[in-house]
Amino acid sequence: MTRERFIELIRTEQEPLRRFLLGLCSGNQSMADDIAQDALVRAYVASGSFLGLSKFSTWLFRIAYNCFIDHCRKSTLDTVSSESYEAQSVLSDDTTDDVFRYQQLYQALDRIPDKERAAIVLHYFEDHDIKEISSIMQIPSGTVKYLLSIGRNHLKEDLSL
Amino acid sequence: MNGKDNIEEFLRSNKPQLKDDPTFLLETNRRLKQVEGIKAEVDRQRTYGRMALIVTLVLGIVIGAAAVIIGYICPVDPDKLNQGALNGIIVFLTTWKEYFLILAAALSVSLSYILSRTRKAAF
Repeated sequence: MTRERFIELIRTEQEPLRRFLLGLCSGNQSMADDIAQDALVRAYVASGSFLGLSKFSTWLFRIAYNCFIDHCRKSTLDTVSSESYEAQSVLSDDTTDDVFRYQQLYQALDRIPDKERAAIVLHYFEDHDIKEISSIMQIPSGTVKYLLSIGRNHLKEDLSL
Repeated sequence: MNGKDNIEEFLRSNKPQLKDDPTFLLETNRRLKQVEGIKAEVDRQRTYGRMALIVTLVLGIVIGAAAVIIGYICPVDPDKLNQGALNGIIVFLTTWKEYFLILAAALSVSLSYILSRTRKAAF
């Protein structure tokens, strides 16, 4: 796949991808964009292995999710706590209006496990169905339903809804 | 309206809105160009290595075949060689062995230095 063709393909996919990572990173835009860039580079390097068996977006989201997992592992090794990310998410961006608007939601998302957060973000923010989420997260459909259910419960308790 | 509906409605109505960032695709393009450069360099090195291997193989076959042909055309008398030329060569090497070893060591160090410099410059 040529670079021009790849850029054309990601032109429409980059916004949902960045939004997905923004949700996963609990509103930390710079971290989300870093992971998105990393994911796009990985996708480009591996573009020869994309056989078209799934949708391009599903394939791209899967790579992004794996990048996020890798990033979390690295962060754990670097002993960076989730609290510091939370602080970064509020303080690091130049325009914090959006962050403050969604702060309550992001803080609640930050407190639930990564897998639950990923399932919630993919289903409610990106409108992916169970089958697609199962393909992106590489887990069975039943597990996706379970993650959505307990994720909703955790958020409901946290947000007092 | 139950709790599940409440949370679903809350999540759907609070989809994060991204800031429009025109630099994102530019940055992506820049990184992809860098990746292309690395890919091209790796391909070039691989082609170079393959060519070197083929040339070495062909040279080996050619020199080996030439040696066999010369051996058949001009057979060497082993007795003559033992008494004359071979002994002379052995004596010569034994006499100057320290200098040969120093020369070989200097050549290998220089060669490895040059090769390491060339590889760094290429990347």
